Amino acid sequence: MAVKTPAHSDPGIGGRAAVLGDTIAAIQAALTLAETGIEVSLITRSAALGWDSINSCPGKSSAEERRFIWPLLMRAVNHPNITFHTNCALDSIDGSAGDFTLHLTRYPRYIDEDICTSCGRCQAECSAQITTVINGHKTTRNAIHAPDPGNKSIPSAYLIDKKDYSPCRISCPLGINVQGFVSLLANGKTDQALALINESAPLAGILGRVCRHLCEDKCNRAQIDSAVSIRSLHRFAADEAKIGPIYTIKNPERTSEDRIAIVGSGPAGLTCAWELKRRGYSPVVIESHSVIGGMLATGIPRFRLPKEIREREIAAIRNLGVDIRTGITVGRDVNYHYLKERGFKAFFLAIGTQRNNWLKIPGEELDGVVDCMSLLLTLNLMVDSFVGQHIVIIGDGNTAIDSARTAIRRNHGQVTILSWTVPDEITAANEEVEEALQEGVTVEHCVIPVEILGEGGKVTGLRCLRTQLTDDIMPNGRHRPEPVPGSDFIIDADHVVMAIGQSANADELGIEGLDIDPDSGVIRVNPLTLQTSIPGVFAGGDCVTGPNNVVEAMAHGLRASESIDRHLQGTDLEEGRSLEPQKAAEIDINTIEATPYKRAVMPAISPQKRMNSFEETTKGLSEKLAQREAQRCLNCAVCSQCMECTRICELNAVKHDDCVRHLDLAVNSVLRFPSAQGSDQDLNIASDVQTILCDDKEDIATRLSKSMSVALETANSITQKNGIGDFRTVSSEKNITIRKTVPAEKPPFDNQRTGIFLCRCGGSITETLDFRAVARRLMDMTDVICIKEIAQSCTAEGALEIAEQVRLHQLDRIVLAACRCCNLDQVCYTCTDRRGKCLHYINKHLVEPEKTIVEFVNIREQCAWVHKDNPREATRKATRIILSGVARVKLSPANGMDSVPVLPNVLVIGSTIANITAARALANRGYQVELIESKLNKPDPLQNEKYKTAPDQLRQENIIIKQWPQALEISGSPGTYQIRRKSGGKSDLITAGAILIDIEALTTGNPSLWETTHFTGVIKRLLDRRMHINPHENAGNDLLRSLTIRDTTGIFLTNNDNDEPHNDAVLNGLAVAARIAAFIDKAGIIPRTTSVVINEELCRGCGTCGDICPYIDMKNRDNGTIYASIDSALCLGCGTCVASCPSGAITQPSQSNKQIVSTLRSLLQQGKTTAEVY
Amino acid sequence: MQPTILVFACNWDGWSSMEAATSEGLSYPASVKVVRISCLSRIHMGLILNAFNFGADGVLLLGCEPGKCHYCSDSDYVINEYEKTREIMALLGIWKDRLSLVHLPAFDGQGFVNEINKLVKEIEGIPAARRSKLIGSEGIHQEPVKNG
Repeated sequence: MAVKTPAHSDPGIGGRAAVLGDTIAAIQAALTLAETGIEVSLITRSAALGWDSINSCPGKSSAEERRFIWPLLMRAVNHPNITFHTNCALDSIDGSAGDFTLHLTRYPRYIDEDICTSCGRCQAECSAQITTVINGHKTTRNAIHAPDPGNKSIPSAYLIDKKDYSPCRISCPLGINVQGFVSLLANGKTDQALALINESAPLAGILGRVCRHLCEDKCNRAQIDSAVSIRSLHRFAADEAKIGPIYTIKNPERTSEDRIAIVGSGPAGLTCAWELKRRGYSPVVIESHSVIGGMLATGIPRFRLPKEIREREIAAIRNLGVDIRTGITVGRDVNYHYLKERGFKAFFLAIGTQRNNWLKIPGEELDGVVDCMSLLLTLNLMVDSFVGQHIVIIGDGNTAIDSARTAIRRNHGQVTILSWTVPDEITAANEEVEEALQEGVTVEHCVIPVEILGEGGKVTGLRCLRTQLTDDIMPNGRHRPEPVPGSDFIIDADHVVMAIGQSANADELGIEGLDIDPDSGVIRVNPLTLQTSIPGVFAGGDCVTGPNNVVEAMAHGLRASESIDRHLQGTDLEEGRSLEPQKAAEIDINTIEATPYKRAVMPAISPQKRMNSFEETTKGLSEKLAQREAQRCLNCAVCSQCMECTRICELNAVKHDDCVRHLDLAVNSVLRFPSAQGSDQDLNIASDVQTILCDDKEDIATRLSKSMSVALETANSITQKNGIGDFRTVSSEKNITIRKTVPAEKPPFDNQRTGIFLCRCGGSITETLDFRAVARRLMDMTDVICIKEIAQSCTAEGALEIAEQVRLHQLDRIVLAACRCCNLDQVCYTCTDRRGKCLHYINKHLVEPEKTIVEFVNIREQCAWVHKDNPREATRKATRIILSGVARVKLSPANGMDSVPVLPNVLVIGSTIANITAARALANRGYQVELIESKLNKPDPLQNEKYKTAPDQLRQENIIIKQWPQALEISGSPGTYQIRRKSGGKSDLITAGAILIDIEALTTGNPSLWETTHFTGVIKRLLDRRMHINPHENAGNDLLRSLTIRDTTGIFLTNNDNDEPHNDAVLNGLAVAARIAAFIDKAGIIPRTTSVVINEELCRGCGTCGDICPYIDMKNRDNGTIYASIDSALCLGCGTCVASCPSGAITQPSQSNKQIVSTLRSLLQQGKTTAEVY
Repeated sequence: MQPTILVFACNWDGWSSMEAATSEGLSYPASVKVVRISCLSRIHMGLILNAFNFGADGVLLLGCEPGKCHYCSDSDYVINEYEKTREIMALLGIWKDRLSLVHLPAFDGQGFVNEINKLVKEIEGIPAARRSKLIGSEGIHQEPVKNG
């Protein structure tokens, strides 16, 4: 069969409506509106609709009913008049009935739903997996996941759960994606982890050893056991990744000649240079020492940061192309003016703090009193230097600890640290103190030296005072200690190291006009841009903050690079920048499932061994330990932004930069279907917005009826408002010829030109199937003109590619091997929105779709996915399946069936409340409605004053009322029924597109027309069959089935309801009117693609098929013999008659015996080449 | 070598069970090939015998449970056709348990896999000489297919 779009022709009714809600009732309302010509926006808060989610009313829906929900959804998603707005919240509604404006917020799903094929490869790569326990219900899911895991949904596109930013990431001054790299390590992806780190900051090997790890301080895992050991994971990534420290250039195409001078090659300077280089600049780093790295080289002892690691990381920056010149001191060898004259346009001063602080107590001038920086420099660079046997270090910062640990490795004697505070408030990092103690360093707490004692110019000891804490809080958050008078005591020492911090020496730069704080000596800068008092001169690191840590200095380097970039580009330095931290993800630790697990500790060399060497104290984590440690991460922000999904998705469907969007919709009407647990209950909604509440006592059929009736009334009011849509001008007497095209048995083309298209489905098919092998085997088939691989066939691009090939090669037949599995125009339980899109785009873009026959074969679910473990056999099977598609398409008749016209006239038989209601609603739509009145009940609804349904009233509403006849004769076929009303020898003829019959009126009216009416065979049997269905038992299923497989009979039934509550009867009437309206508004019945064709000549009139099928009519030939006949509009397409026919007179063009046999041959015949098989 | 199984699956519950097997992450041998037909009642003996003739080791007829037919078709038609075909198979010397009729509820992926495994086991139990016997080898008409 050729592909054919369902005809949802617009009979001239316009208007727009919005349906809010994600229940089955909302879907049905949208469908009814769409089918009556209204453009519908379906707005749902949920990210997708699935058969469970749309049934959120805790009704009594049986499993049986659930079967029909999916086709209902499929019809909605495939309907061209319905636009889905999922993941949308209604903020407010303006305006009034007829003219509303809806203000909506669309929440990001981070995945382009027009592209995503829900292949799930991203989920397989997703690093973040979260297990939550809510109300005892445990769920484990990845950050990227299907909307309704395990079930189908619409849209089927995946989505990503994101919660702002993880606290570790926010607390990192460099903005390293901590959760990202940790989650990658948790999945054993070391290379990717380092690559992710290298995107944000250089020097991973250094940071992994000496970073102040503010991230660990904020780690939520501490609420369960202890923080994740992020720094050691950072180190693991840097040391173990095979890619090593390799950095990418952000703007390869941009190169700038502007010269930038960076003074100081410490962490701040190096980072600034690194980032500027990545942005396309060529900065020059000027270093006064002969070694590169500033404090990294001179201040941090080797046993914490080995020389090899430092050199490796710096070499990587040099390899990027950063120019570093050593041994030049700015202010001595060159000066600012000289550099400016040489064309340097921007400066970054990152000279650190080179001047040591002194206590200014007596005895500092004695021999044996040194500053810590000199000590570290000489010991670290292995310059031989004197160390005493009894060293006292004054100060309790990290430098003091480093000095102590360095010294004890050399003197093998006594090293004492004097701290002025208690152990809990010591400045140095805990683990540093811990290791120092292990190595034999002594820490004296609450001590403050007041005098250094000496003899003969040499140090002999210190006089100290004890201290106690006061309530005074210092700027660093700790208590200020104060000396206790009279607590003097003396400590022996032969070597005193002053480690109470350093001060900046920016004055030595000799830059005129540079604003320097006179007290602390630091350079004053704008904290946001780091610009100094001189435009174009920026400063950062310790020379701005005073002694600080490596990571903060590096952060300054990054911030300065941004400022320098802006300065050189001439853009505003401040715009869009802020020092405000991003919003941290909030997690409810009680809902997260995590088994307590001990924090990993890096193995360390024993303190005894350490003493004799400057070897690194700690060994990195093992691979196993690192992975286990990374798995302790709770993924606070859910998605870790590791970008693995972006890498794996060949279709670029992942959009991490998706954001909250606002949209306004102008509509005529709004229907609101709040679910039982709806969140918009308290929204202030204008009173003329219709709200349809869910009643959980109602069954699905009632809910659907309710939706249909409300939707029909809404459609009618919109139509009236727009003043269009009067069908009475269409003459019912006009003779309409019904064209019945019998599909050609023979293919219409002599030269068949077939094209085969293989859909990669973004790699999800090709990761199992070998398309080259498939193509090799299909190549030698006759008539196959081209075989082409396409990236994705369910998008406009894919369809255009196919259309282009069709044009180029003049193809008349196409086999598309993808996920779609039929061209039958049906909505079955297996269909998906992507399969719908696949058909939609192909129909849209093929230039002459009626001339190209398309056969779809599924190789995704049936081959690539289910036989993933056996690619070879899967490829073979796919070849066979495609082959069978080629065989079928060759035998496909040229085109489907033409549509059968439907007259916009309705005949209503029986004046029950439901029927009168339906008649009024249909007349209201502008159809010609004739009502045959019955007098069944007292009180007669026609005489009921209360409901204003007196005949006169109805006549005013353009309903033609006719008397109950003595007999009826109904003939014709769907869309054009002829009804002859006979009374006392007189008769008149009514022509109607649809007939609404009240069964009880028909059978028990006076006289009973059931007995006196002559129905053409098929109509009688149709009624017979329908009347035998107990409306109270099976009504729901019957309604659902007819909604699912389309009503093509044009005969609608009600059952006398005058005893029922009035409201229910009205509801039923409106619901049936909605179905009739949908039937008529299509303007034509398209026979089902699977419908059968009976060859009258071959039929020998045995009647077997007639016994099976209520739609088959046994007719008489002129010569009196009998033959079977079927109205293709009525045929449901089951094919039972084909199997039953002994003479082969009945064929089903969509699946003829020949086609099935060819399919079998292609799938099964062994040991033959493809050319032979076909 | 797994036996080749040809499945005639109806468009509705049968086809959905086959797909559900994939979406539930189950698997079945790649030698299982599925042909879609609108309703199981569409299948007649000629088509089944053809499947055997083209080399299927087993044929599985897969449809909706009785009373659940999408077309309200009577499941007796297929049961009759199934019984009749088995009798003919016996006459032709084809092991009749190579044909199986199964009704499954919608989306029953596990059920589909179970039925496939059951039939595979059944066929593997058949004496090798009679496992893949073709009709043609007995000299029966090659294409017992009705026209159309």
